[in-house]
Amino acid sequence: MRALRRALLALGIAAAIAGVLRLRGSGGVPPQGGGWRELSGPDLR
Amino acid sequence: MRVAVIGAGAVGARAARQLHDAAEDLVVVDADGARAEAVVSALGKPARLVGDVDDAVTGASVAVLAIGTDHRALAERALERGADVVSVADTLTEVSELLELDPEARERGRHVVAGAGFSPGLACVLARHAAADFDRVDEVHVCRSGTGGPACARQHHRALSAGAVEWRDRAWVRRRGGSGRELCWFPDPIGAVDCYRGGLAEPLLLAPAFDGVQRVSARLAASRGERMLSWLPMLGRAPEEGGPGGLRVEVRGGQGPARAVRVLGAIDRPSVAAGVVAAVTAVWVVEGRLARTGVAGLAELVEPVPFLAELARRGVRAAVFEGTAGGVVTG
Repeated sequence: MRALRRALLALGIAAAIAGVLRLRGSGGVPPQGGGWRELSGPDLR
Repeated sequence: MRVAVIGAGAVGARAARQLHDAAEDLVVVDADGARAEAVVSALGKPARLVGDVDDAVTGASVAVLAIGTDHRALAERALERGADVVSVADTLTEVSELLELDPEARERGRHVVAGAGFSPGLACVLARHAAADFDRVDEVHVCRSGTGGPACARQHHRALSAGAVEWRDRAWVRRRGGSGRELCWFPDPIGAVDCYRGGLAEPLLLAPAFDGVQRVSARLAASRGERMLSWLPMLGRAPEEGGPGGLRVEVRGGQGPARAVRVLGAIDRPSVAAGVVAAVTAVWVVEGRLARTGVAGLAELVEPVPFLAELARRGVRAAVFEGTAGGVVTG
């Protein structure tokens, strides 16, 4: 019974940590070349 | 012309404003009578309030459906009364149900434009425009960010947990909503945002528009929190008006022996852009400028250059990505 309780506790803690990490996320924006140009005049004729 | 605007929310009010000068008779109806009255009062003549949908669509040239649900039932009622239909429906279910009306609409010689809003809608026009230089279109991928009014915010919440459909290797495949994270680069100031699959209607409207296309997908921007909580009922109150929204439409195709990628985008408040797109579509319907009758999205129905020019004249501007992801790849 004690082992079951410990297993459930460990699972609960692991799920809580996983949830926090999932919400926080990681990493950033990769570098990207170029940019956006508005479609105007010659593009729309 | 007489135009009926069904729904006076964030999109319907903008559509009515855009149609105010073009319509000789502009009737507005909404389940919330006070809201419809406020729109009509703000616009003045020729806008007027009517009591129910049947009164609105009877004698109308075109009915603009700017409500959250029941697009098929309302479209059927409009068709029965001889009106063309412009629907801003953006959910998989609503658009799928509208597409089922195609035989009836064709038989009656009427137009039903499905998904004539920000996305689908503007996204479909951008896809058609991006594909203009290609001999063949292999893939179309749409990403969208932001929400318009409360109905749009609720749809965003539901879409993340709803099943998604994609066109892959010329067959429909079902995907889990909230899966397939991809970093999508929108025009400034939105920039790069994680986007996920969801219950979006864009593939249903884009796959039939491009003969031989092999892949069509759609993703929507969401935070990790939004994605995780999408399985629960919406906890907060949906905002009356969302912030700036973005569109990114990537089309891959061929120019002779070369393969090429073209990326177009747009930034605007989704409900404002949706209202403008719906209004311009309604005017084009009345002017007989759509390619065919029946039910379809804008990618199949409009010439993109004059349509985008008209949108730009009304303040909704598109952009092209020029850079490492936008150049022609040879070989």
